[in-house]
Amino acid sequence: MSTLARRAFLISAGVLGGGLLVGAGATAYGLRRIAAFEAPLDGGRASFGAWLRVAGDGIFEVLVPHQEMGQGIHTLAMMLAAEALQLPLSAMRAVAAPDAAVFANPVMLLDGLPMDLHDGGMVQGAAIWTLDKLLRLLGVQGTGGSSSTRNIETAIRYSALVALDLLRRAAAAEFGVDEAQVSAQNGIMTASNGRAARYGELAAAAGRLSPRNVDLPPLTAGRLVGRAVTRPDARPKATGAARFGIDTRQDGQLYAAIRHAPRLGGRPQTARLGQKVAGVRQIVTGADYVAVIATSFPAALAGLEGAEIVWDDRAASTVSTADVQIAYRAALDQGAAYGKRWVIDHTGNTAGGVGRRIAASYTAPFLAHTTMEPINATALVSPNAVTIWAGHQSLSLVKLIAARAAGVEPAAVMVHTPYLGGGFGRRADLQYIRKAVEIAATVPGQPVQTIWTRPEDLRDDVYRPAAMADVSATLGDDGMPTSLSYRIAVPSVTDQFTARAMRAAKGGLLADRSAVDGAVFSLYGLPNRTIEHFAVDLGIPVGFWRSVGHSLGGFFFETFIDELASAAGVAPMVFRARLLAAAPGAAAERAEVLLQRLARWDMATRPAAVPAGTIIGRGVALSECFHSFVAQIAEVAVTGSDIRVRRVHAVVDCGCAIDPANTVAQIRSGINYGLSAALFGRIDFENGAIVQSNFHDYRALTLDDAPEISVEIVNSNAPIGGVGEIGTPGIAPALGNAIFAATGKRLRNLPFTLA
Amino acid sequence: MIVLTVNGTQHRLEVAAETPLLWVLREPLGLVGTKFGCGAGLCGACSVHVDGAVVRSCQIAVADVADRAIVTIEAVQAQPAIADIAGAVLAAWVQAGVPQCGYCQPGFVMATIGGVAADRGQSREAVLARLSNICRCGSYDAVRDAVGQALDTLRRAAP
Repeated sequence: MSTLARRAFLISAGVLGGGLLVGAGATAYGLRRIAAFEAPLDGGRASFGAWLRVAGDGIFEVLVPHQEMGQGIHTLAMMLAAEALQLPLSAMRAVAAPDAAVFANPVMLLDGLPMDLHDGGMVQGAAIWTLDKLLRLLGVQGTGGSSSTRNIETAIRYSALVALDLLRRAAAAEFGVDEAQVSAQNGIMTASNGRAARYGELAAAAGRLSPRNVDLPPLTAGRLVGRAVTRPDARPKATGAARFGIDTRQDGQLYAAIRHAPRLGGRPQTARLGQKVAGVRQIVTGADYVAVIATSFPAALAGLEGAEIVWDDRAASTVSTADVQIAYRAALDQGAAYGKRWVIDHTGNTAGGVGRRIAASYTAPFLAHTTMEPINATALVSPNAVTIWAGHQSLSLVKLIAARAAGVEPAAVMVHTPYLGGGFGRRADLQYIRKAVEIAATVPGQPVQTIWTRPEDLRDDVYRPAAMADVSATLGDDGMPTSLSYRIAVPSVTDQFTARAMRAAKGGLLADRSAVDGAVFSLYGLPNRTIEHFAVDLGIPVGFWRSVGHSLGGFFFETFIDELASAAGVAPMVFRARLLAAAPGAAAERAEVLLQRLARWDMATRPAAVPAGTIIGRGVALSECFHSFVAQIAEVAVTGSDIRVRRVHAVVDCGCAIDPANTVAQIRSGINYGLSAALFGRIDFENGAIVQSNFHDYRALTLDDAPEISVEIVNSNAPIGGVGEIGTPGIAPALGNAIFAATGKRLRNLPFTLA
Repeated sequence: MIVLTVNGTQHRLEVAAETPLLWVLREPLGLVGTKFGCGAGLCGACSVHVDGAVVRSCQIAVADVADRAIVTIEAVQAQPAIADIAGAVLAAWVQAGVPQCGYCQPGFVMATIGGVAADRGQSREAVLARLSNICRCGSYDAVRDAVGQALDTLRRAAP
């Protein structure tokens, strides 16, 4: 495929970026990449380039530029380094990397290119688009897009092998033998003459030697890689010892409670403290919020509740979710005449398709993230410096935004990042950092922790956009599609995100691939297809949400494929297999393997008996996203209007599952996240104000609703793909297709309801 | 002035009587293992034990628990009456790999320990039926495994 061409492109993009790290193969990797920056020693014994150092206690530290938000990146980074270094996991530690260009994440943004990653061919304009993105985001460190492991895997393994080579040479010199006579095992260098030393004892001498280029073998299962490990953060998280941003406690720390304008675009006109509340210091007004600072959070909250606030609604939005759907319908009906329209994947002649025409329209609602840890940030603003303690998904953007808010240079911003109590894309949108800095700036020299209550967390979210899609196809006499048209109306998340993060950025100049993800450049063989995006934005803030566009496109497209199968009178799995067979290439072959495994599970695992009045159905969906493949089957039990998902089986190919236990956990997590949305998730607006406010009206899955999820891993040994988001896109279509199998009712609008 | 007994220690606190227990634990007492999740008793991240019962500490005024025995995640393993359960649940939790982001975990663990202790010898399903905590990482399969493993450990240790 495909793979080689894609790699070649990534490398060239890396060169374009100047020293950017890319997940290139051994030949493209060299010392200059890891030597571009030296890991700070902080009293340690030696550093081996940007990524590895030996601390004073002899522990090897791997510098990780990605935040630990549940995806297990700290553990994975430690495993990769320990594997290459011949060290036990207990001799490794993960530490947060500083803000340096070498730690940037281009993988995340390269995935957004509006181009076909199967054949590596660039669509018109992609080069300009790439440049635009690189200029905007060059050097930006970020965690998202299921990119963390892909971004750092090569760098860490290469650095570890260079360090091992240095340690071996230091040992040879120390023991007076040839390098070839020194063997490395379990953190000890042993010479043929019987002498031995721990790595830590050799680190200082090794650090003085000149590093050499080494060969980087492909990533495959080994001593640690490919085996389930116990995450080092499991115990501290279970026992409450792990610290999150909201657990920050500094001397003299104050607390702030924040309340946003009830309506989008509303502003505080006047805000006064009401009756005296012990501990309350002052009230602060921002562009769209009021906050009260106090010596405790409950006092701040009481102060805010008692405050007399008048909101200026003259510029407030009147938008309702119904308006959004009307605008989507109007844009889709307007067609080519609609101004903000992108044709992203066009091949053959869509209008020329012959045969029976099948058409369907789908909708999906706005969604909030509801990370378990509500949004919060602690800031200390001094005359010339800012210190931030907060969970976030981009160190670079935190520094940029905090610096701008406080009027200092980004270099004067110090950021401490504890564990994130969930990210899901929410903590990539960092206006909460700006607000926390603005609030803390009113009490210079004192740290202030601003906490969003759950209703404020929902109100101040950037939502997964609502969307509408018209999908149609023609089926030939053989039941195979002869043409397909996919038209989606949805705002551009990338444009909104970029505009919020970087004021100078101009959105809307180029196509946003994420708007059509899940449908664009499909791995199915689909002749005469057109994929169009109608960028309709009514001003409701939208942002990245687990799997981003795939959460929409995955549902619309895979449901439609099921509708085609039904129209063709072919079993859904067989129909998909035929569509894959019509698309020669490694991607379709990988997907076919997963489908075969899924079919085997389906045959071997028949549904258990159910009481009379309950109907069982099974539905499948196939996803390709973040360079990984997932096939899943959902089993549903329908009783009247009650929908219960009994179990889900997923087969996954992410190239190489570095920690299979973590891969399983991430797939289950992604599925349950998508299932909360498919069963319960909807955010509504009325007259510019959000309707939902907490878990009672924006429900999340609990144990009682959660299906048993089994996961099967296929290691194809293709270049590694992402894992954190890939379970999410397939569950809504698999469930909807299962409901159709059980009831004959085709549910085309999320969340699902049979009432 | 309110006198609060937390993890066996008495604290004299100058806090408003209606202050939710959660915020007294997290702020003046510095016991930040108990988490704020929803402030409405819906998610269980703030679960603690009050006289041995699982309580959502965001929903209980500090004055109402002034003469009760409050146990938080920080000291649950040190409670003689439930130390075996706490040890078994925590070991199983780590073994089953439940934590992902980890934020809901102390509350989930406290609810599970309390749920097992409420009726020693009950089935896995009975324990699971007591758990309504929200985990946005969706770690529920691992929770089921962990509860099963913990009950197995306790059964083997029973005299």
